Amino acid sequence: MSDTRVAERAAEPAAPSRPRRNLAGRLLRATEVDTRLLGMIVALAVIWVIFNIFSGGTFLTARNLWNLSVQTAVVAIMATGMVLVIVSRNIDLSVGSMLGMVGMAIAILQSEILPDWLGFNHWAIWIIAVVVAIALGALVGGFQGFVVAYAGVPSFIVTLGGLLMWRGVAWAMASGRTIAPMDGTFQILGGGARGSIGSRASWLVAILGCLGAIAMLVSARRQRRRFGFPLRPMWAEVTMGASGCGVILASVYVLNHYFKPAGLAEGRTDIAFGIAVPVLITLGVAMAMTFFANRTKFGRYVFAIGGNPEAAELGGINTRWMVVRTFMVMGILVGIAAVVQVARLNAATTGLGTLAELYVIAAAVIGGTSFSGGIGTIPGAVLGALVMQSLQSGMVLIRIEAAYQDIIVGIVLVIAVGIDTVYRRRMTT
Amino acid sequence: MLNRRLMVVLAAIAILVAACGDGDTTTTAADGATTTAADGATTTAGEDLVIGVSWNNFNEPRWANFDEPAIQEALAAVGASYISTDAGSSADQQLADVENLITQGADALIILAQDGTAILPAVQSALDQGIPVVAYDRLIENAGALYVTFDNVEVGRAEARVIFDLVPTGTYAIIKGNQADANADFLRAGFEDVIGEAVAAGDITICCETYTDNWDTALAQTEMEQFLTQEDNAIDAVLSENDGMATGVVAALEAVGLAGSVPVSGQDADFPALNRVALGTQAVSVWKDARELGKAAGEAAIALAQGSALGDVPSTIIFDSPGGNAMTSILLTPIPITSDNLNLVVDAGWISVDELCQNVASGTVGVCP
Repeated sequence: MSDTRVAERAAEPAAPSRPRRNLAGRLLRATEVDTRLLGMIVALAVIWVIFNIFSGGTFLTARNLWNLSVQTAVVAIMATGMVLVIVSRNIDLSVGSMLGMVGMAIAILQSEILPDWLGFNHWAIWIIAVVVAIALGALVGGFQGFVVAYAGVPSFIVTLGGLLMWRGVAWAMASGRTIAPMDGTFQILGGGARGSIGSRASWLVAILGCLGAIAMLVSARRQRRRFGFPLRPMWAEVTMGASGCGVILASVYVLNHYFKPAGLAEGRTDIAFGIAVPVLITLGVAMAMTFFANRTKFGRYVFAIGGNPEAAELGGINTRWMVVRTFMVMGILVGIAAVVQVARLNAATTGLGTLAELYVIAAAVIGGTSFSGGIGTIPGAVLGALVMQSLQSGMVLIRIEAAYQDIIVGIVLVIAVGIDTVYRRRMTT
Repeated sequence: MLNRRLMVVLAAIAILVAACGDGDTTTTAADGATTTAADGATTTAGEDLVIGVSWNNFNEPRWANFDEPAIQEALAAVGASYISTDAGSSADQQLADVENLITQGADALIILAQDGTAILPAVQSALDQGIPVVAYDRLIENAGALYVTFDNVEVGRAEARVIFDLVPTGTYAIIKGNQADANADFLRAGFEDVIGEAVAAGDITICCETYTDNWDTALAQTEMEQFLTQEDNAIDAVLSENDGMATGVVAALEAVGLAGSVPVSGQDADFPALNRVALGTQAVSVWKDARELGKAAGEAAIALAQGSALGDVPSTIIFDSPGGNAMTSILLTPIPITSDNLNLVVDAGWISVDELCQNVASGTVGVCP
């Protein structure tokens, strides 16, 4: 649905040499489902089933999936921004170090600076921390974007420098100390014992999500009719709507079946955690970013720049300002991710976020973003982050040694991108 | 034509002069070092000594806050100068750093090894050049180096003793440190000394055990979450090899309401950990007064630089390393800090009462108001 590969959609119906006129092919074509996204969902399902078998049925429990959703949040939030950066033919290697620096800044703010002014556990502390995180992220991101766009230094180099610099700044801010603990309300943003919204609110979110998905389908159909585009068959629309709703409701069902241990629920064993706050934040960010990418001028311009920078420039797009904004958005997302990470850990260490940039880039790329620019989807990146985290958490669950974990993750990354490259080549020939 | 030839000649002369100049400096350095080392009787005055310290990474809180100032103080006491490098967790970088320190004229080296095996060539090279080496806190398997550390096996025993007293039977989880760091295995050996019998007798079951890349806090949190999932929260105690990882472990326990009821161990006595000991969410943090370690290493480095033989350095014993080397070592005794003896760290000036007692309800801990 929210797909940007116009070229591929155009190529599909105009391929008369396609021999497979079977049901599956017709089904896929009618629903216009992005086969690549579908492939990734299948891959995710396969990974989950394999881990479930090897872990003796522990992987596919409500509890593990709830944990997985929280563990994915930090990388997923940043991956949505990385998609835009990579689509515009840039790269940002500094996100891990930026995360560490912003995290350290808000930790020091919360545990040392603000308590002096406002006293401990003041209601405004967490708000100030979040605002500072976003502002700092935007500032740093914007600065890097400025150097890339206006000084013409390749983004690889600028962000490589950033990777080194911000880690050093993070260290300098606290002389290497670990800062803990965080403000009580702030901790909620990271999940944990109090960081989820409970079953009733989760069902509400699920119903809203379902209604939203149906509304989008209806409005898309109406738009098509208005502009004379071919409509999807009704049964295809219904299938899409039903499966979308089904996925949302099933996910919330699972999250609502992770019950609080008696110690946290005053003896009761039927109070569910529900959707964790970091997961809500991730979903909100993903929806906002998808909207920005597909429905705003900003998003269209980013894809235009990525597809053909010269044409974009000649066409009147202020490419430099766009690049600055892309990096600024990345910085804002890093700020949000830092909030979630520090809240989750309830501490900030100088090593926070080390190597995160690699997982973020891997997530975006597994999700279908191409390094040649102009191609990528936000939902794909979130799925990519989920795939990566499933692999890692699953491997810890079945006790694979750290070294072998790295090997497996590396292999999976190359295979995933390899399949994508081959697929793309077949599509465009 | 003439100009160009002139340029070439001038360039050649310049190169020759530079080469000769460098040659001289190298010779002087080598001579200087050999004289000091070979001539055991003469002691170079403190002011002429340069001690080089190769840090592996300043990311753990203690190095910059305690070890480094202590070493600097010990050196300042005799007027020796201090030079240092930070390898940023890279073993390769550390090899280059050691060479760098030697080039800068260090008379003795103190090395906190990122990877005790990878650093061996650099250590051997330094020893060959007559520059004594102090292996700081982490083992380097070379009998020519002086090993200054807290007895890490004893640290492991101290951690395990406190936890074993609290939980004599039940299920244990063990979160170990970096696989390439020999200390991770020393600590594990210490744990084994204390709980080994109970494990063999079946009283204690070790359900879950793992190494943690780079002793990383966030990774420890994810590992603990997975262990809790695997065991459905039925974990009775956690042996965490250091405080950084204990932070992650306690965060994971807090998320399921078990912080405080499941004892957790740690070492380093870093401030958040001591705070947790006061709050009751961590049972013990083994205090290795890094200032003592820095002081001992600094003084030993000065003695060695002044020409003492390894065995003549005060307070050394021979420690048989796992690699079969008879390491001349200074082993300091660690102190386990539990809620009963928090006053020790306050009285020693290690941590302030305010930092220790953040969020501690009054009246629960003696030291806190």
